[in-house]
Amino acid sequence: MKLYDYVLSPSCYKARLMAALTGVKLDIRPVDFHPGAEHRGPELMALNPAGSIPILEDGDLVLTESSAMLVYLAAKAAPQWLGNDTALQAARVQQWLSFSHRLTGSLGAARLHEMLLRPGDIATLHGQGIAALRELEAGLVEQHIRGQRFLASDRPTIADVACFPYVALAPDGGVSLDPYPAIRLWSRAIRSLEGFIEMPGIHRLHELKPEPVLEAGEA
Amino acid sequence: MTRNAMIDEWYPVGLAGRLDTHERQTALMGEPIGVRLGADGNAKVTGSNGRALPVCIRYGHVWSSLGDPQKALFAIPEADQPGRRLVDVGVVRVRCSPLRAVENFLDIAHFPFVHTDILGAEPHTEVPNYKVEIREDEDEVWATQVKFYQPQAAKSAEGGITTEYMYRVPAPTCSILYKTCPPRPGEWDVITLFVQPLAEDLCDVWPWMALFDDETSMADLIHFQQTIFLQDRSILENQIPRLLPLDPGMEIPTRADLTSVAYRRWLKRHGYTYGAQLVAQ
Amino acid sequence: MLPYPSGSWMPVALSADLPAGTVMPAQTPVGPIALWRSRSGRAAAFADRCPHRGMRLSRGFVRGEALSCIYHGWSYAQAGNCLRIPAHPGLTPPETIGVATQPVEDSGGIIWISVGEPTARPPRFDGLAPLRSMIVEAGIAALEAAAGTKADGGLLDYAQNAQTLRLLLTPQGKARTLMHVLVDEGTGPAKRIAASRAAETLRRTAEDILRSDVAQ
Ligand code: FES
Ligand SMILES: [Fe+2]
Repeated sequence: MKLYDYVLSPSCYKARLMAALTGVKLDIRPVDFHPGAEHRGPELMALNPAGSIPILEDGDLVLTESSAMLVYLAAKAAPQWLGNDTALQAARVQQWLSFSHRLTGSLGAARLHEMLLRPGDIATLHGQGIAALRELEAGLVEQHIRGQRFLASDRPTIADVACFPYVALAPDGGVSLDPYPAIRLWSRAIRSLEGFIEMPGIHRLHELKPEPVLEAGEA
Repeated sequence: MTRNAMIDEWYPVGLAGRLDTHERQTALMGEPIGVRLGADGNAKVTGSNGRALPVCIRYGHVWSSLGDPQKALFAIPEADQPGRRLVDVGVVRVRCSPLRAVENFLDIAHFPFVHTDILGAEPHTEVPNYKVEIREDEDEVWATQVKFYQPQAAKSAEGGITTEYMYRVPAPTCSILYKTCPPRPGEWDVITLFVQPLAEDLCDVWPWMALFDDETSMADLIHFQQTIFLQDRSILENQIPRLLPLDPGMEIPTRADLTSVAYRRWLKRHGYTYGAQLVAQ
Repeated sequence: MLPYPSGSWMPVALSADLPAGTVMPAQTPVGPIALWRSRSGRAAAFADRCPHRGMRLSRGFVRGEALSCIYHGWSYAQAGNCLRIPAHPGLTPPETIGVATQPVEDSGGIIWISVGEPTARPPRFDGLAPLRSMIVEAGIAALEAAAGTKADGGLLDYAQNAQTLRLLLTPQGKARTLMHVLVDEGTGPAKRIAASRAAETLRRTAEDILRSDVAQ
């Protein structure tokens, strides 16, 4: 499976993270998104006329929507991540998958504006981003009251992977995560998962490993 | 009021390879400026009220100044060596003092915690003693014989090695890092940080590299350096205060920070204080 | 006048939002703090600025009984003294290196900070259990107007759908309030979810009141 990837893109990171969590090995093809705008060049436009990345290619399957990539990776390698045990769970997964696009349009666009100087009305993007974070916080509080640590169940699903990157990177776009205790705990739970990988802007939880000590003779 | 000593310096204001006849709006030390490709094929930089600013093209970037530069832009002789790949990494905006951005670039002790498993890894956290000097002839800050353990020194490096570095500060918001180059023992890779001060607490950072590496794809080289810098960005936007404190009582350096101590001393000596905080507040 | 005079307690977070081995940011009248809980469960409050290079300590990590800074890994004991400087593993940090701490009490499910030496124990709210905390972008007056009641001793009652929420309010500047939502102990999940939604509505109303006030 080949992923056309930009290392700073939270959407590309969704696919990388899902693959890492489900043990799928991806063949990464780096795309010079910034400053080269390679995603708008002829080779990638032929693959994806929308001119966006990530693009996931598997045989003659070409996916250009990150939510579809999450479904595909999970269905192939670890179906429990689909979270469709019950009608309620399946609906919650779909609810948050759709919601995740609002994160891209608000927090993601604010980040592109603040970091890579892309155009945008920053006050509006911040307002929309904060509204989305409040909605997520309220959803997580309710899940917590139900005794569930993740968005759709007590187990992580593709919904969590779809929402996590743009939320965790909100500070890159000038939106503070300080006011959201439930988001903080959820983010920790995701970062503590077996197989979790980080991306720039999301630090490793160094405490997951005890303080390493030098072996005698090692320098 | 004294004249801002940094006003006569050269600053990066754009990528030379991406110049366009359509003027790009940006800023230098609070003043709005425009950068474009003129009808004569040369780069033009215009200040507020339309005055033409000095321009030079070097190291992949367009450079300009609000004042009257007394010297040519600093030299990087290695950049002209044949066989190097020149990498335009592109701009990244950071909400911090331009001087804080440079100081972070001079620091290695953060590698295991911020660039974990790439430039450093616990338990290899020790910073051995190295040499620091202000070279009076060139009027530059230099740190040499800097050695540090790296789990993955560069895209072309596999496995952990001890890497050697030299750091050089030729201008208040520019730094050059020389780093041992695994495919070419005896040569140094050149990695630079060129910082455009937009305001005292806001900057555009233009990393640039001149490497010996024929294997790695250009996109991969760019991704590697952007990864490193974006990890730093999340630190830089969370330092308090945002300006670089030049008051010695404000922060606590150790032996590992001697480069930053020399850098701060050199800034103070020249009155390079745009982006600095002189007294504790 | 500071709403929290020296020696008084201020509720900064809910105990459940700070599990063992974690750190979080919080605000006090004397500045931002890093609130953290050691592995063994003890809470501590530090000025949110590492003395080394000014990095926010609330971005750090907790190992065992120490808080480490994310930038260069300097670690600090609960008393604020520096324990370790990873760049110099052989060095015992001088006693002069440390961060300012504030007294902390963890009682009734709420974490309290004292500005200055405390003169008494933090208040108790017997029969009430904390539900969640939230930031309201409006002052206490707007919240009172939205609830239709007056705050008394920092507590605002808000009756909604056959239950009364108790809102513990802490001003953070003029137009920002930290609100801890408390409900009756033993309230079941359905009513707690309803209470959380009611608190969202109250916040929206208060912020709308503030906006229309500003617009006038
Ligand atoms: S700033 Fe905290 S350890 Fe350096
Ligand atoms: Fe760094």
